[in-house]
Amino acid sequence: MSVIEVRGLKKSFGSLDVLRGVDLIVEAGERIAIIGGSGCGKSVFLRCLELLETPNAGQIFIAGEELTAPNVDIDRIRRNMGMVWQKFNLFTHMNVMENLTVAPMKLLGMTQDAAREKAMNLLAQVGLTSKADAYPEFLSGGQQQRIAICRSLMMNPKVILFDEPTSALDPTMVGEVLAVIRMLAKQDLTMLIVTHEMNFAREVATRILFFADGVIYEQGTPAEIFDAPKLPKTVAFIHKLKYFDFEITERAFDLPKMQGGIQTFAEKYGFNARRTNRLQLCCEELIYEMLDNACAGDDVKISLDVAYSEVDGVVEIKFTCAGKAYNPLNKNFDEIDEDNLGAMILHNLSKNYSHEYEGGVNRISFSLA
Amino acid sequence: MEFTDLLYKIFIKDGGWLTILNGLRVTVEISALSLIFGTMFGSLLCFFRVGKFKPLSVAAQVYISIVRGSPVLMLLMLLFYGVFARTGMSPVLVAVITFSMHTAAHVAELLRSSLMALDRGQVEAARTLGFSKWQAFKLVTLPQLARIAKPVYQSTVVNLIQWTSVVGYVTITDLTRVINNIASRTMQPLITITGGMLIYLALSYLIYALFHLTERRQQSHERH
Repeated sequence: MSVIEVRGLKKSFGSLDVLRGVDLIVEAGERIAIIGGSGCGKSVFLRCLELLETPNAGQIFIAGEELTAPNVDIDRIRRNMGMVWQKFNLFTHMNVMENLTVAPMKLLGMTQDAAREKAMNLLAQVGLTSKADAYPEFLSGGQQQRIAICRSLMMNPKVILFDEPTSALDPTMVGEVLAVIRMLAKQDLTMLIVTHEMNFAREVATRILFFADGVIYEQGTPAEIFDAPKLPKTVAFIHKLKYFDFEITERAFDLPKMQGGIQTFAEKYGFNARRTNRLQLCCEELIYEMLDNACAGDDVKISLDVAYSEVDGVVEIKFTCAGKAYNPLNKNFDEIDEDNLGAMILHNLSKNYSHEYEGGVNRISFSLA
Repeated sequence: MEFTDLLYKIFIKDGGWLTILNGLRVTVEISALSLIFGTMFGSLLCFFRVGKFKPLSVAAQVYISIVRGSPVLMLLMLLFYGVFARTGMSPVLVAVITFSMHTAAHVAELLRSSLMALDRGQVEAARTLGFSKWQAFKLVTLPQLARIAKPVYQSTVVNLIQWTSVVGYVTITDLTRVINNIASRTMQPLITITGGMLIYLALSYLIYALFHLTERRQQSHERH
């Protein structure tokens, strides 16, 4: 039986549709990392699984029991799930031992001795036995999060949901929390982790869900998603693509505006002056080449798309121009030709150049050398 | 006349201290009862105020703003000479009702602001562990609410005691009225009223001490 089954889950806040129909089956032992840009609904999805947000439509089954059914005992079903929060949410008026033992004692009827023993075992696993009597306010974020993980483990959950467990932590403390989650992964605990730590997701997860547009946009093994994403938004996310685009509809277009836009874009992502200059030069020469040779009269329709990948540093330029078929680089560049200086520059600055002509539109793409 | 003779004449002779003690008893009685009923009614009021049922919420809001926005003496006179005038209700009872109503409005606001300062995340954490709404309230909300509300509640109590000094207006012989009587009888207002103030001061410090004691106990409980 699947641990979690979600059918057609929808959730909106007012007119904002956050989840637009999520379907998911999680089998026991699966470790699922949920990634996606901010506001893609991944945290809301996790909150829906705990019924902290009431879904607008859809069904959720936890270990075969429907959580979304009317008159269901939510509290009992929730005991099957643990939740670890971005902000830890330890009970601040209780010490560590009380934080760990209160739920199993009150809800599972565990004796105090048994609960304490179990708590000490878990604390030993995360290296915090010395903090058993401390209050949360005296612990570091990393320590609090390790305790919070222990607290959810105390209930022997069938699945643990991690909601960005390291996002509120100092960079120096991220490692200790990830180490604990890795340790749980080795014990074949079923887990769903919403995370921004891509390397961690790749290493720990058995399946990656990429959320976009309020649905599971693409999913697969870590290798499939991180090495060979198929769909455009996944590619953009994985390669951390940043875009700049510019449309030209008349011969006397605003060149300084375009150059300024490229300058700002390049500065934002830390291009050096030489590279910025090359990018501007390429775009300018290409536009004039096409204006002179492909466009007839005042009928101008050119669009320029620059994509920069923060991961591998590649700048790709995609260029479309309506008009006659014209390939500016379809020349012999062995001899220096004063008339074709623009094409010459383009030839020298581009890599992987390609030109297509289809349906009255020239499509040129290349990456910046 | 010697100063000690004066003191003797004012506070001891003709059982002056006995009437003062009586006045003090009335003050404490009205304050204590008003505090108990006011806190209970105030909690209920806060529950209505933050609740989802709109009419009750609005009613509570209106009540709170009227009572908090007008002098308590006005309310006392309104009830004594107006609302309960023909019922023959004892003045002390009217005073207790008045100050309960007054304290309730303040307690309701104090609880509401404490509720807003509360960390929702901890309640959600309790719910996801499997605690019911009521259990989570007992386990997380209540203890933390008490902790946040305590310093303000303490000054509400002290303020309440001082506000009761106006009950003389409705024929109640409380501490202030007794002091006033003795001052006019002995023609020694300076010493008598100073003495009365010292008694109020002692009462306030007694309250502070009590709260401090519970705080110390809580802290030592927490730190060890």
